Amino acid sequence: MFLDLLKLIFSLPFIFILPGFFLILAVFGWKSTSGGTKISFFEKAALVVPLSLVSVDFLVLGLNRAGVLLNGPILAGAIAIFCLLGYIVFQLRFGKKKRLENEEEKDMENIFDFSQWQTIFILAALFVAVFVRTAYFSDTVVPSATDMGHHMFWVQKTIDEGRLPEYGMPDFIIGEHIVFAVVNLVSGASVMGAMPVLVLFLANIAGIFALAILAGRMFGSAKVAAAAIFVAGVLYAINAPQGKYVSGGVIGNVFGNLLIPVALYFFYRALSEKNSVFAGLFIFSAAGLFYTHHLSGFILLYSIAAVVLAHLALNFDRVLKTIGEWLKAFLKPFPIAILVFSVLYLLFIFAPSYLDSSAIGQATGEPTKLTRTGLNLKQIELNAGSARLVLGALGFLILLASFERKKYKYSFALAWAAVIFLMSWKPAWLFVNVPSNRIGNYLYLPFSLLAAYGLAEFLARFRKSSTVFFSTALLFVLLFFTITNGLSDSNEAFKARPQFQEAVQTFHSAQYLADKLDSGKDILLKDHVNIYGDSWYKLFFMKDYEYPLSRGMLFRYIDPTKPRETCTRDMITIPETEAGKKCFSETGVNYLALNARLEGNSFEKYEEFSKVYSSNYISVFRRN
Amino acid sequence: MSSKIIIIATAILLIASFSILFVIETKNHNPDYKKSWTVVYFESPKDNSLDFAIENHLGEKTKYEYEILADGKKVAKEKVEIEAGEKLKISPVLEFEKEKPAKISIEVSAGDLKYGIYKKIQ
Repeated sequence: MFLDLLKLIFSLPFIFILPGFFLILAVFGWKSTSGGTKISFFEKAALVVPLSLVSVDFLVLGLNRAGVLLNGPILAGAIAIFCLLGYIVFQLRFGKKKRLENEEEKDMENIFDFSQWQTIFILAALFVAVFVRTAYFSDTVVPSATDMGHHMFWVQKTIDEGRLPEYGMPDFIIGEHIVFAVVNLVSGASVMGAMPVLVLFLANIAGIFALAILAGRMFGSAKVAAAAIFVAGVLYAINAPQGKYVSGGVIGNVFGNLLIPVALYFFYRALSEKNSVFAGLFIFSAAGLFYTHHLSGFILLYSIAAVVLAHLALNFDRVLKTIGEWLKAFLKPFPIAILVFSVLYLLFIFAPSYLDSSAIGQATGEPTKLTRTGLNLKQIELNAGSARLVLGALGFLILLASFERKKYKYSFALAWAAVIFLMSWKPAWLFVNVPSNRIGNYLYLPFSLLAAYGLAEFLARFRKSSTVFFSTALLFVLLFFTITNGLSDSNEAFKARPQFQEAVQTFHSAQYLADKLDSGKDILLKDHVNIYGDSWYKLFFMKDYEYPLSRGMLFRYIDPTKPRETCTRDMITIPETEAGKKCFSETGVNYLALNARLEGNSFEKYEEFSKVYSSNYISVFRRN
Repeated sequence: MSSKIIIIATAILLIASFSILFVIETKNHNPDYKKSWTVVYFESPKDNSLDFAIENHLGEKTKYEYEILADGKKVAKEKVEIEAGEKLKISPVLEFEKEKPAKISIEVSAGDLKYGIYKKIQ
């Protein structure tokens, strides 16, 4: 066990730190300043994980296209070569400039030089953020989450076959699976272990840092960056889209919440500093996002459009000049090279499975379902969190009060929050046709940014206030509300409710069936409704994504817009009826895995079945 | 300097957290670690073989009693003792004077716990 742990602990930095570190080294050099571009140690550190993620994705996509068998030594070698190339570029570009850079650095101000109290505040916030999440994951780390099980099937398929899978469906995107396969192949850490949760946990924490550098850079303040770590890391640490999405394996959202702020950080710096290096890195990170999660990519597109349009509208008198300045940043060799590289990847290396005109058509236009017509304000409050929403609204108002149309921070912060709020609340206004609760999960990002600004500004104004009593009282009310409401979900982390016993029995029954059944002839139906961790069943067979068949949640069988197959439900609910028997003959199902205390009891009455496996939790029946 | 302290502290926190979670997962993935359950199953679910196995995951050495019933009539009864975490394979030898029964049931008990498996004989 400890050797496995050591291998994982050493592999994670190799995969998630080194590629990003050497990429940053090649682009920015060793010291904080280079080529007129300022990027602090804190920002570099915050960017290594997301840039590693994107770099490894592109690396593996390229290897796969070249027909190289994906295995541990190949992947480790490819990452090492990538790092070496980064180092060579660094030497060529910056090797002789080191001394000059050193002198330059001393003269330049660094936003992320935190004061002693800010450092203590950040460390305390990070400790609470990691501690609460660890406590929560300790009950959920054994593989069991449905989404994670579905995703890990594709990861295991990649590992088994040594090449990237062809999904044949738009639900999965390659960037959701590549890094897990790489971690397994390099470290040997099983996908049926702690590894998937740990990788997502790392991405979640890196996402907090990404928001912090975006907030710090946008508002030019270390205080706001520190507040962002508190707001994003401590408040609602367990609720979606944080702890619950990590343990639940909602991979696309977790990676999206990391890459969206990174892309916006580069975009902000590209526009505000007219800097082509940041423009190139914006394209690079956005391309990585599109290879990882379609909905997050969609959110980024709307966010970028809102920011650009808002800034142009606010500076209508100098539209052409503004666009000209942006083009100067983007029409430089580096961003053009990255754009060409991304397009070539799309055309010749790998096209994401969702990328077709029908998918784009489905996501835009008038909402076609009730679940896509928008959230009400109460639902929005639940999604964003009351404290975050209140602080965010405070930040929004303070920002409006000090509005200066020429500064980018206003168009970025206000337009980003406004567009995601509208996409969640009134999607029809923006021609968005996506489930509104899924959009609502992204409120977390701009409202954390605004909440951090609101909190930092409020504290600053409180200090300056002449009416000390009133402002002290208000501060305490606000902090009391923020902490009690924002930490309310963290109680869940300390409620003991692990279902390890059920999970191991599910796995045992799956292993039994995988050993005894011929998946080419025998058809297994399992019950998703009442079996914990059942989605991991398919990893024991590794036949195809649809094997074994599954009785889904009962509401899924009712769809007023189109008829749904009901056999997977009827074979468990009404097996002895004519409809049930017809389903058995049509599907060929001859084995059923059921919850022993529920349907398992009922099935003992039916003459047509033998019970071949019985544990406290699972019963397996064979149709005679 | 403050940034370096923050990044190093984060790395240490994450390494500690990852190590704890890894150990928790590995231990709890073990079917016997802090668990209490039993499983009974046919070794060959497809044919007429009555070979079956009992796995003891109750956390202690346990005495199991099993009965074999042919069409509801008891034809055999045995007691076995299984170590914690161990599996016992049993191959019952049954002789029927007249025709073969239609259904063979195996009922296993350990105290109040009862587990039953059965097969239709083809």
